Amino acid sequence: MFENLIKKSAMKSPWLFHINAGSCNGCDIEIVAVTTTLYDAERFGFKLVGSPRHADIVVVSGPVTMQSKERLIRTLAQVPEPKCVVSIGSCPQSGNVFKGSYAIDGPLEKYVHVDVAVAGCAPKPQAIMEGLYEAAQILEEKREMIRKAKKGVKGSGVIEVPAAAGTAQVSAAAAPASTAAPESTEAAPEAFAAAEPAAAAAVESTEKEVASK
Amino acid sequence: MIVLKYLFNALIFPGALFTILAGFLLSGLDRKVIARMQRRIGPPLAQPVYDFFKLAGKENIVPAAANVTAYKLAPVLSFVSLAFIMVFIPIFSFSAFSSKADLIVILYLITIPGVALIIGGSASGSPYGAIGISREMVTMMSYELPFVLVLLAVAKKAGGDQLVFSLKEIGEWQAVNGSMLLHWSMIPAALAMLLVIPAEVGTQPFDVAEAETEICEGPLCEYSGAPLAVFKLSTCMKMFIMTGLFTAMFLGGIRTGFAGTDAILFVLICCVVTILCITTIHAITARLRIQHLFQFYWTYVTLLALVSLVLVWFGL
Repeated sequence: MFENLIKKSAMKSPWLFHINAGSCNGCDIEIVAVTTTLYDAERFGFKLVGSPRHADIVVVSGPVTMQSKERLIRTLAQVPEPKCVVSIGSCPQSGNVFKGSYAIDGPLEKYVHVDVAVAGCAPKPQAIMEGLYEAAQILEEKREMIRKAKKGVKGSGVIEVPAAAGTAQVSAAAAPASTAAPESTEAAPEAFAAAEPAAAAAVESTEKEVASK
Repeated sequence: MIVLKYLFNALIFPGALFTILAGFLLSGLDRKVIARMQRRIGPPLAQPVYDFFKLAGKENIVPAAANVTAYKLAPVLSFVSLAFIMVFIPIFSFSAFSSKADLIVILYLITIPGVALIIGGSASGSPYGAIGISREMVTMMSYELPFVLVLLAVAKKAGGDQLVFSLKEIGEWQAVNGSMLLHWSMIPAALAMLLVIPAEVGTQPFDVAEAETEICEGPLCEYSGAPLAVFKLSTCMKMFIMTGLFTAMFLGGIRTGFAGTDAILFVLICCVVTILCITTIHAITARLRIQHLFQFYWTYVTLLALVSLVLVWFGL
């Protein structure tokens, strides 16, 4: 009944959740600048939210450090579909000046399918805004794909997560494992332990894939 | 026939549908005006509608630690109670349902959304939710006291010798004697009510329970998809109901003759009250800490309400 309205709303109110995966804070400041008076991302409906459960677009900055890797995978799994991942800056794409460091385990493409990558060190707020706006358009397409997939496999109740080949396998493998476990660590740490091997296995499989290439 | 009339009242005109539409308008206006105050362009006026339908179309994740029944019923409880409050609030001359004790029923019903938030937050099994609900409880305790005192002052003023809790009678009294706000002894109570509204709706600086920057929106932390949409909708509806209650209690007694024009005028006055007490306060303040919120309500706001009550009790 409200299908058209939902379709229209999907790209008109994208809420952002920001993950800092070991960023130097340069990109983070630029992301905040996007929401300030001068650039005012709110006129497109963008809003920074505090919980990954409320997010539509996940904004990741920083080369993925060893410390942040686990948290990154878990946080991404908590975001409800349809979701978009936008990487901000050169670090999540290539490692930037940290490339080759023992402390980082990037790039971000290894763990999740990145829909839009905004390059620069740090990128201009205008560039970030354009990237986010593009992601909002992709969001609408993804919703449509999920809806079609849902209709196709109505009986089985399994939703195929639409994503590109290659890196996308990780997100598909990691997501069910973590959604099955309670997300809050404080509430049930033992449940996370159960989810961890699955995520680790997923990571390993991509590593092999990368090596074979 | 009478059943149909009540159904119409509850579901369409002063009830659910009208409240939702007016709530979306007030919420959109609030966001737009605050953006203009900060020299931004701001979101379109229909932004709350987009937010609602976007959330409705998203995946709904129920955490494994959650109590599923309570988790899913809490937003419904909040919505239903709010849809019913509006039936009791007269829109100037038009009053859908009037009893001897409107104000007391409203006082009970208006606590239910807060309680629903507490139920939902505790059912989600999140530690952020636990912090949020304890703060929500303290917030409720803080604003209930001045709120009750304001209602008592209004009831005494309209009743003279005895207390009148019927909003229809209060409206009629205002039609004869002029709006409550024109009586100088009621001005402190009106100010207290204006300060109770933002706490009841949960906007800055009184949004300690749902502080998104410190506790990830507290009780709403684990919510996603349609239940979150209903909670966001209840916030919009609460905005309209609280400002509507203010209009009915302090600016009542206006007669335009038609129910339609009355409703439009009512919504317009609600818009002004929203900008005055929600948007302006939001734009000029930062979030309070929970103990300061408690202190603020139990000293200054309670004092304002008490001054009015004492003045009214002496017949002024």
